[in-house]
Amino acid sequence: MRGGRAGALAAAASAAFLMAAPVFLSTYGILILTEILTMSLFAMSFNLLFGYTGLLSFGQAGIFGAGGYLAVLSLLHGPSSLWSAFAAAFAGSAVLSFVIGWFCVRRDEIYFAILTLGFGMMLFTVAHNWRSVTGGSDGLGGFTLPPLDLFFWQGSLADPRHFYFLVLSVTVLGALLLQRMVDSPFGLMLRSIRENTQRLSFVGADVRAVRLCAFVVAGTLAGVAGVLFALFNRIASPEMLHWSFSGKAVLMTILGGSGVLFGPAVGAAIFYVLEHLITAYTTNWMIFLGAILIVLVLAFPRGVLGSLLFLAARSRGRPRS
Amino acid sequence: MEAFFANLLNGLSWGMLLFLISMGLTTVFGVMGVLNFAHGSLFMLGAYLCLQFVRWTGSFWTGLILGPPLVALLSVLVERFLLRPLYGKDVSLQLLLTFGLMLFLDDGVRLIWGAAYHVVHPPDALAGSVPLLSRSYPLYRLFLVILGPLVGIGLWAFFNFTLWGKLLRAAAMDRQMAEIAGVRVPLLFTAVFAFGAWLAAVGGALAAPHQSVGPAMGERIIIESFIVVVIGGMGSFPGAFVGALVLGLLHSFGTTFFPQLQMALPYMLLAAILLLRPRGLFGTES
Amino acid sequence: MKRKSFAPVLVLLVVVFFAGIGLAADKPVKIGFAYIMSGPFATYGQFAKQGAELAIDELNAKGGVLGRKVESFFEDTAGKPDVGIRVIRKHVFENGADVVMGLDSSGVASAVAPVMTELKTPLIITHAATPDVTGAKCNRYTFRISLNINQNIAMASAIAADMKAKTWTTAGPDYSFGHQSWEYFQKYLSRKKPGAVFLPQAELAFSPAATTDFSSYITKIMNSKAEGVLISLWGGNLIDFVRQASDMGFFDGKRDILMTLGAATEVLYALKDKMPTGIWVGTRYWFLANDTPVNKAFVEAFHKRYNAYPSYNAHGAYAAVKAYAAAAEKVKSTDKEKIVEGLRGLTLELPVGKITIRPEDHQALTDGAWGLTAADPNYPIRILKPIRRFTGDEITPPVAETGCKMN
Repeated sequence: MRGGRAGALAAAASAAFLMAAPVFLSTYGILILTEILTMSLFAMSFNLLFGYTGLLSFGQAGIFGAGGYLAVLSLLHGPSSLWSAFAAAFAGSAVLSFVIGWFCVRRDEIYFAILTLGFGMMLFTVAHNWRSVTGGSDGLGGFTLPPLDLFFWQGSLADPRHFYFLVLSVTVLGALLLQRMVDSPFGLMLRSIRENTQRLSFVGADVRAVRLCAFVVAGTLAGVAGVLFALFNRIASPEMLHWSFSGKAVLMTILGGSGVLFGPAVGAAIFYVLEHLITAYTTNWMIFLGAILIVLVLAFPRGVLGSLLFLAARSRGRPRS
Repeated sequence: MEAFFANLLNGLSWGMLLFLISMGLTTVFGVMGVLNFAHGSLFMLGAYLCLQFVRWTGSFWTGLILGPPLVALLSVLVERFLLRPLYGKDVSLQLLLTFGLMLFLDDGVRLIWGAAYHVVHPPDALAGSVPLLSRSYPLYRLFLVILGPLVGIGLWAFFNFTLWGKLLRAAAMDRQMAEIAGVRVPLLFTAVFAFGAWLAAVGGALAAPHQSVGPAMGERIIIESFIVVVIGGMGSFPGAFVGALVLGLLHSFGTTFFPQLQMALPYMLLAAILLLRPRGLFGTES
Repeated sequence: MKRKSFAPVLVLLVVVFFAGIGLAADKPVKIGFAYIMSGPFATYGQFAKQGAELAIDELNAKGGVLGRKVESFFEDTAGKPDVGIRVIRKHVFENGADVVMGLDSSGVASAVAPVMTELKTPLIITHAATPDVTGAKCNRYTFRISLNINQNIAMASAIAADMKAKTWTTAGPDYSFGHQSWEYFQKYLSRKKPGAVFLPQAELAFSPAATTDFSSYITKIMNSKAEGVLISLWGGNLIDFVRQASDMGFFDGKRDILMTLGAATEVLYALKDKMPTGIWVGTRYWFLANDTPVNKAFVEAFHKRYNAYPSYNAHGAYAAVKAYAAAAEKVKSTDKEKIVEGLRGLTLELPVGKITIRPEDHQALTDGAWGLTAADPNYPIRILKPIRRFTGDEITPPVAETGCKMN
């Protein structure tokens, strides 16, 4: 299924690009790339549920945002340490997604989507209304950036390039974890759930447990992405938890292709580049985004990366057949 | 007592407006299995067209009567050229396409009518208020309270007693069987989608004298109508009626009794109902 | 032939060289604006753009700033904090802005202001009213030219103190702006009128931003014991509230009413004669509040160009551009650090009146005006008559109260 030599080449090229980007990109380019990578991690976590398990979650942003808030709270009230902020968000979003997942994985399709939307919006309300703890609608900021303490090397998160490498490392780690998971027998189980829920339960697998497991992994990674996002913007804001932010992950995933692990990452890149290009010419960028989305859904239902890989596979397959 | 009565009327009138908006959504889902994200935008379009007709003719009624068919016409094109290629494919693609359509329409109205707030006045016959206990109550809201059930009963009768209505229900239950029986399902689907859009636009025109007309009105209503439809049971008319009433009353009494929770209340209700009755109050297990 | 052609080439080179130096000196001054340009609140971005462009054209017609042309960049914050931070970074790193201006939403302003210390670029806020950005979150680079919540509420409470109402409640948006407006109102009014009573939290009427049906909030207020109502709803919410409240008999003269942003022109243009008369309303700039030549010229130029009376957001952007130009002329430089020094303590005559940017918290001491809504055949919208004017000094809380610690 993976692209063989061409795939390896593409992977090597993108790895080289990402490693070397700070050398040739402008500061603003680095900032945008950092945001793309953060959103990639978020969208890939979403796609573990959507693309691989067939569960469309509109509440993913709730956990993403909760991760961000937990990190900021830990920085404000705990030690000024990057690692303890990550630990707080990691543990918190794991527990949170376990609780929410426990309810939601009982439902399918549209009902799962609406139920996760409901839970996500409850979290949004907490962030938006609990002013004494979360700062309310103005968000929670005012923390000092923790040092980037890598034991052997001291960096500064205020430096866009250092921050970039932090985000790159975390995102790559997350992607590798997802890849291992998807390629494992567990991943096979996820896909068979997507294809046929009943068949899997006939052979004795506990569908709910498998789904819940995927939900927790996806939620925890989303929480970690939320930490990066909050640190990047120096604030955790309620908008991060809103359903429309989940919609962004859905959009990026479909743009890139939900059937491929890196599809959402490609989708995130396309989304930001498109937004950047369109907003340079018009403030009516939503009309263009809407039109492009419609065309993509109709012409490339597999997403951009998905369609490319499909075409590549077909052109390779043709001589043989 | 007076407070209770006022809250009851507030909840009923808001609920009936929600019902009018949600009916199209639930029809389209029930028959076609399509969850239309752009439904709120069609609602908004109904309001804007009403505004435009009021500007041209000065009469609210022309806007109510002439606007919605135009929206239905637009949605025929949408169904024929955009939605039809996606039938039988993943549901998420339909959701995405209609999401794209929502972005397109919401920004489109801003191109045509600008971003400013617009106001449509209720028709003279329904303007003003009537005395109610020691207070007065807006006539237009009472009109909505009466209109909601009437339209609901009309639709119910249509689905149960007319040939077209029966065909629709047959196609919703089993598309293949209906096709074998000679029903031209594609045509039926186009008609249903247009009908749903017409209902949305009627809701929009009726909402115009009640709230300011602006590009955000569709986005604001769509999640609430999703909740109505899901609570009631997707595809169910009585469900949409009850769901809208519950949400309307929850809004009015929640404002009084649980002000801190009001933003979360609809979502809490939604989650509770989906967990206890997976297919909604009036939904049937498929 | 070859020898002949050498001299002209040399001349050309010299000309190009000096022209280059000339061009470098004439490099335009770049102003980056960040407003809501898309979505439901795009109308605020449009107003601001109108005001900004008018000011820039006026400057350029007189030779620009320090003899350099002024160039503008507009970016869309979409009203979202993360987008706001992104476009501010874009202005600084990509557009090479010498100064950034704008911000409509308090949420965006709260997110952006702390980032300015990293970007080391002056920011002049022209609309967002949260007290924090010139209070607890104040910093060297963040300034505000427009009225903030405290100042507007100080006027509201001064008017409330003269009213009959003793027990007060509020109808406001259920986010920081609404809650802060109410908190400051309680604080200021109880100072001016120690006997004032405020309803408990559960009896207030805070409505979520997406509310379109206000009937239950209106009922709640009408059923309460309150004799006075502070309404901090604004924009579309206020329009919906006023129309629905009129139909429900809310404006029956039985209660004292204050609308903190009722005199915003976008509201008055939408409501026209549906805005009840005889209601106390405030705004951040009222185009008829004073007769100074500066104001008259501004209103006239604005009306001539856009065929509408200037909204407070148009004035905010206009004022920020003029303040920047004044600061640059004062320190004879557009260096960002020097501009910061130039803006601190700057005094300047603007359409709204004479303002001073307080060096301790960077909030402009701006005159304000409230008034009673009235009909006037000369205007298509309700106007304020009579007007009650306040000076910046009397409505701005002392620095010690703002919580600002400038470093």
